[in-house]
Amino acid sequence: MKKSLLIVFVMFVLFVNNGAQVMNEEFRKKPPEPLKEIPFSIGKPFEKTLKNGLKVVIFENKRLPIVNFRLGFRFGQINDPPDSIGLTAATVEMLNQGTKKRTSKQFAEEVESIGASIAASSSSDNIVISGSCLSIYEEAVLELMADMVLNPIFPENELNLYKQNTIEALKFQRSQPSFLAEEQVARLIYGNHPYSIVGPKESDVEKLKRERLIEFHKKVLIPNNAVFIVVGDVDTKNTLKKIEKFFGKWQPGEVKVQNFDSPPLRNERTITIVDRKGSAQANIVISNLAIRRNHPDYFPVLVMNQILGAGASSRLFMNLRESKGYTYGAYSNFDMRRLAGNFEASAEVRTAVTADALKEFFYELDRIRNEKVSEKELQDAKNYLTGVFPIRLETQEGLTSLITQQQLFDLPKDYLQTYRDKVNAVTAEDVSRVAKQYILPDKAAIVIVGDAEDLLDQVKAYASKIEIFDTQGRRQNLDDYAKRDEKPLVDVSGKWQLTVEAQGQQLPPLSITLEQKGAEVKGSFESIFGKGEIVSGKVRGRRFIANVNASFQGQNLEFRIDAEVNEDQMKGMISTQMIPTPLQFSGKRER
Amino acid sequence: MKNLLITLVLVIFSAIISAQGSKMKAKEEFKLRPLEIEYYRLSNGLRVVLNPDNSVPVVSVAVYYDVGSRNERKGRTGFAHLFEHMMFQGSENVRKGEHFQYISKAGGTMNGTTSSERTNYFQTLPARWLPLALWLESDRMRSLAVTQENLDNQRETVKEEKRLRYDNQPYGQVFDLLTSMIYKNFANAHSTIGSMEDLDAATIEDVKEFFRIYYAPNNAVLVISGAFDTQEAKRLIEKYFATIPSQPAPPPVDVSEPEEVALREKIYEDKLAPLPAFIDGWKIPPRNTKDFKALSLAGKLLFDGESSRLYQKLVKGDESVVQIFGFVDERRGPSAIVIGAIPKPGKDIKQIRQQIYDQIKQLSTEGPTSEEMRKLRNQLINDEVRLRQSSLSRALRLGEYALYDDDPFLINKALDELLQIKPEQIRDAVAKYLNTENRAQLNVVPANQK
Repeated sequence: MKKSLLIVFVMFVLFVNNGAQVMNEEFRKKPPEPLKEIPFSIGKPFEKTLKNGLKVVIFENKRLPIVNFRLGFRFGQINDPPDSIGLTAATVEMLNQGTKKRTSKQFAEEVESIGASIAASSSSDNIVISGSCLSIYEEAVLELMADMVLNPIFPENELNLYKQNTIEALKFQRSQPSFLAEEQVARLIYGNHPYSIVGPKESDVEKLKRERLIEFHKKVLIPNNAVFIVVGDVDTKNTLKKIEKFFGKWQPGEVKVQNFDSPPLRNERTITIVDRKGSAQANIVISNLAIRRNHPDYFPVLVMNQILGAGASSRLFMNLRESKGYTYGAYSNFDMRRLAGNFEASAEVRTAVTADALKEFFYELDRIRNEKVSEKELQDAKNYLTGVFPIRLETQEGLTSLITQQQLFDLPKDYLQTYRDKVNAVTAEDVSRVAKQYILPDKAAIVIVGDAEDLLDQVKAYASKIEIFDTQGRRQNLDDYAKRDEKPLVDVSGKWQLTVEAQGQQLPPLSITLEQKGAEVKGSFESIFGKGEIVSGKVRGRRFIANVNASFQGQNLEFRIDAEVNEDQMKGMISTQMIPTPLQFSGKRER
Repeated sequence: MKNLLITLVLVIFSAIISAQGSKMKAKEEFKLRPLEIEYYRLSNGLRVVLNPDNSVPVVSVAVYYDVGSRNERKGRTGFAHLFEHMMFQGSENVRKGEHFQYISKAGGTMNGTTSSERTNYFQTLPARWLPLALWLESDRMRSLAVTQENLDNQRETVKEEKRLRYDNQPYGQVFDLLTSMIYKNFANAHSTIGSMEDLDAATIEDVKEFFRIYYAPNNAVLVISGAFDTQEAKRLIEKYFATIPSQPAPPPVDVSEPEEVALREKIYEDKLAPLPAFIDGWKIPPRNTKDFKALSLAGKLLFDGESSRLYQKLVKGDESVVQIFGFVDERRGPSAIVIGAIPKPGKDIKQIRQQIYDQIKQLSTEGPTSEEMRKLRNQLINDEVRLRQSSLSRALRLGEYALYDDDPFLINKALDELLQIKPEQIRDAVAKYLNTENRAQLNVVPANQK
C-alpha cells in the first residue's frame, strides 16, 4: 500500500514536471466555442434644422470627457468650375490660414493651446471641417470653427505658399505608380463626368487667384447645404444653443443642382498601358462602372466583395499571393460615391508574370459571377463584417465618421442600427446576382502601369484594343512601339559568360547558351548553383529580353534578363521578384 | 494590486482662454477616472494584466515578450524580428497561416510588431471570442512549429520585407543609419531588421534555442482589455497558460552607453531620394526618468503641430522646408531625440540646420513660455483621454508598463507625472542634452546629383 502510494506520488511529480507534453490536454486540439453574445445597441442622434437651413445632429456619448465635431457640405471637387480645377480644394485648405480675427499662426496657436485639433479637407463629393477637443473646450472650438467658416480672408502670401507646396506635392504624385493608374481608370470609367478628374494640374494651381477664392467661398459654403455633427460628452440643449450662437447668423444661399454627363457605356474590354520605363513591377487595375453609395444593393455588394477580394483571407489574395506568389497583395474594391461608383480589382505584380496574373484575376471574376458561393464562405464573410463593425465604434472618431457618412450620403436613418442585420440578411443568391450585375470582365478597362515594351506582347491577348500613355498623361503612338521590333535585329546566338554584381560583390560566374530564330530566342542557363531554361526570349533591335526558369539547390527561381547587345558584349539587368532593385551584369560571347 | 481603485482625480482649473477678438471664460473641473486593473502572476511566471471595461462588446488580447533587438548578439541580428514572422507559421494545433484566418472569421483584427525593446502580438475581437484568442496565443507559446521549412520560408519573406521597406524606399535606410551613429553599444546601435548574412547563418538549432529562452511564460506579459468577466477570464487563462513550463531566465542585457554619440557626421547617398535631406540625433536618458519626460515635452514644443516652434520658423516664417519632423526614440536604456527636415530645392541646408540649433538654444536659455506650458497641459490631457478609448490602445500601454516597469498601474499615474514637470526642468534638460555639439548629423544626398 505504502509502496504503491509512493509510485503514484513519483508519477505525479514526473507528470507535473514534464508539463504540457505529457498532460492530457484534449481541449487544445480544437478551437474553443465562443462565449455567449453580448447584445449591443446604438442609440439614435438628436436632429434639428436651424432657421438658416443648417442641419444639426447631436449624439451624446458621456463615456469620456471628449467631443468630436464635423461640419460637412454636400459640395465637392466635382463642383469645381470647369475653368478652375482645384478651386474647391484650395478654398477649403485656406480656411484656417487667416481670418478677420486671426492670422494663421494665431489660429494654430489657439487651437493647440487648448489641446484641440481642427482640420479641413475636400473630396470629390464633400467638404468636411473636423474638430475635436476635451469637452470643457467645446465652446472655444465651436467659435474657432465658426471663425474659419464665416470669416476667412485668404491672405495673398498664404495662398502663394499653398500654391508652392501643392505644386511640389503634384510632382511627387506623378512618381507614384498607383496615382498614374488611378488617373487612367478615372478617365476610362467616367469619361465626361467630373469623377474623371483626379486633381488639378500644375497650371491649374498656378492660376488660382485670391479674388476667385473669396467669391467662391461666399457662394459655396452655405448653411442650407451643410450638416453639423457633434458626438461626445455634451448636453444636447446646451450644445444646440452654442451652435445657434456661432452659426445662427450665417446667411443661406442658393443650392445649385448641377447636372453632369453620364459616364460612358463600355462595349468591350480594353487595355491601357502607362509606360513607366524600367519599372520592375506592373500595377494592374481592372475596372468597370458599378454602383453609387446609397444604392439598395450596397449590402449584397459589400458581402460579395468581402468574399472576392476585400481582405487578406479573400479569394484574390489567397489565389494570387498565397497560392501563386505573384504579388505581395491582390484586392478588389467598390469605390462608391454620391452619384456613381466603380469596381476595381488590383495588384502590383512582378513584370514577368503580368499575363499570368491577368489570367488568375479573370478566373476569379468569372468564378464569383458563375458559381454559387459556399455557405461557409458566405458565413465567414458575414462574421467578419459584423464583427469588425463594433470595433469601429470603440472610439468616438470611429462613431463620428460613420454618422458623417450616413448624413452626407443620405443613407437610411437607421443605417447604423440595422447594419449588422442587413449584412446577415444577404444570401448566396444575392451574391451571385450582384456579382453578375456589377462585375463585368468582358467590358472592363484594364490599366497597367509598367514598362510598355515588356508588357505589350504579354498582355495583348486580353483585349482587342490597346493604348499607351506616358507618365505625364500624354497619349503615345502605338505604331512606334510596334516598329521597335522591326529594326535590324542583333544576333545573340552562342555561349555567353555573365558577370553579375550584387551589393558590391561579384557573384560566381554564370553562363547562358542561346539559339536564335528570327526574333525568338531559346536556350539554357548554367551556374554553380544550378541550371535553368530560357523561356520566352526575344530580340528587339539591339535589346535582348528573356525569362529564365532555374532550379537553385532544389528551389525554383524565376528571373528576367534585359540587356543591350553590342557585337560580342552585352550589358543589362537581372531582376527577380525577390529583388526590387535589379542586379547589374555584363556578358561576353565566347568565340 | 492592494487597492484596485485608487481614485485619481485630476483637478484642472483651466486658465482663462483669452482669444484674440473674443473673450471666453472656462473654469472647469476635470476628472479622469482611473482604469480598473488587476495584475497577478501565474505559477509559471506569466504576468497577467486584466482591464475590464464594458463600454463596447469588444476585447483585445495582447502578449508581450521581453525580447527585442537589444537582446541580439553580434552575428545574430534580426532574430527577434524573424521570430515575429515565425509566430504565424503554426503550432501543434494551429496550422500555418491559420491564426490570421481564425481571427478574421471571428470578425477580428490582429498583428505583431518588433522593436528594440520587445516583441508584441495582439488581436481585437468581438467580446465572445475571448477563448479563441487565448487558445491561439497559448498554443504558439507552448508549441510553436520551429521547422527548417518555416525558417527558410520566413527568412526569404523577411529579406523581401527589407528590400521593400528599407532598401527600395526613398530615405528608407536613414533612421537605421542615424541609430548607428547615436548609439555606441552594439545592443542599441544595430537595426531591428538585422543583417541578411546573420539571417542566412541562422540554423534551426539557433532558432529553437531562441524560442526556448525568450518565448517562455516567465518572459512574457498577457494583457486582456475590454468587455469580459474577470472571474471567467482568470479561469480561461489558467486553463490555457498555466501548464506551459517556465524556463531559466534569459541572459541579462547590457544597454549602457557612454555620453558621447558614436559618430558625429556622415554623408549618405540615397539612390531613390528626390531631394536632399538631413536628420540629427541626440542621446538622452532612459524612459521613465525626469529628464526623459522633460525632453519629450521639449520635443512637442519644437516639432509637434502647426504652432510648434520649428514649424512656425521654417515652414511658415522662412518658407525654407518642404517638411520638418521629429520624434523621441523611447527605450528602457539610453534613448534618443531626432529632428530632421527636407529643405525646398535650392535652400541652404547649413542655414536651416543653424535655425534649428538656434531654436534649441533659445529654449535652453529662456525655457518654455507660460502659453506653451498651458498648451502642453491641455494636449497631454486630451491625448491621455483619447488613448483610453480603444481596448487595443489600453492593452498595448498596459503591456509596456507591466513588461518594462513590472507596474501596469503606472498608466493611472503617467499623466499626472507629466503635468508636474516645471518649465525650468524642460529648460535645463534641453540645455544639458540638446544644446550641445554632442549630436549625430546625417546628410542625405540624392545619389545622382551629389
